[in-house]
Amino acid sequence: MARILDVGCGPNKYPGSIGLDMNPATAADVLCHLDRGGLPFRDNSFDHLRAEHVIEHVADIMATMEEFHRVTRPGGTIFLATPHYTDYSSFRDPTHRWHLNTYSFIYFYPGGMHGRDMWYTKVRMREAKLYVSLLKLWHALGFEFLVNHSRMFRQFWEHYLSFVIRGKLIEFTFEVIK
Amino acid sequence: MARILDIGCGRKKFPGSVGIDLSSAGQADVLCDWTKTLPFRDSSFDQVRLVHIIEEVDDIFRVLREVHRVAKPGARVTIMTPHYTDHASYCSPAHRWHLSSFSLWFFSDQPGEYDYYAPANFRERRVRVELLRIWRALGFQFFVNRYRWYRRFWEYYLCFVIRGKTVEWELEVIK
Repeated sequence: MARILDVGCGPNKYPGSIGLDMNPATAADVLCHLDRGGLPFRDNSFDHLRAEHVIEHVADIMATMEEFHRVTRPGGTIFLATPHYTDYSSFRDPTHRWHLNTYSFIYFYPGGMHGRDMWYTKVRMREAKLYVSLLKLWHALGFEFLVNHSRMFRQFWEHYLSFVIRGKLIEFTFEVIK
Repeated sequence: MARILDIGCGRKKFPGSVGIDLSSAGQADVLCDWTKTLPFRDSSFDQVRLVHIIEEVDDIFRVLREVHRVAKPGARVTIMTPHYTDHASYCSPAHRWHLSSFSLWFFSDQPGEYDYYAPANFRERRVRVELLRIWRALGFQFFVNRYRWYRRFWEYYLCFVIRGKTVEWELEVIK
């Protein structure tokens, strides 16, 4: 059976997972604060790690991603969901420290920035899947389909359009490389 | 006489208020690091003002909990901060947070759900968004502030073009 860790699980823990949260009034199995030390698990303990609407709150994204990478087995997957920085929800919560876009995690990709590995971290993962959702109106007009259709469209949208045709949610799936 | 507290008062302290600040360069009456605790007794102020300061503190909810403690029941709290689409939000490297007119929605919607994050209880009495002059002249500011629904539509779809300037809240302290 797949071992799944749901980080910042809140009241609706992912079915079959171990839930981790800092708030005792949630469905958490493990209480832990991401900004105060590492995750209380051994290396390579999980096949899948999920953190929905978590990464925009943490004090140090690099350190947190390194911990996510450490506890996930090689070839395992990490799923992140976070608001696109052009969505109103990115600015609605006074505990959101970071405003992110679909390129915010290229530091971790092999050959991440302009074909070169980044030096901020040694952690490596591959982008296995990425989906951006847009607001209802833009979805209805077919823009969401286009933005997700190819990398080139997404790049054009991020560079030129995203302050008008605004994003909503980004869902990343990374494959852990060790 | 109403007791007024001006937090982070700087050089333009609100007339008749007690000013508190980190820096002695302004008109502060009390100098201390007020971002952790406020050096006042419970329920000692009728009005608290935080003008262009919450975007700089490390923990907004911690400050609001302290404000709640030192304010009398029914006291009014005025908060002003740049809207995240205004250039002023990015002008100072001390700005940690970029906020919208729904950033304090914890105090207006679904009471209880976010108690863990915002245990202090306030009621949102008024929210007002100010836009840049050109948009004000064209009547957009009137519409944005007319109904909550219009403001929501503006925040979702329009505010990167018809950009905001300042957000002002008036909260009532519930004890």
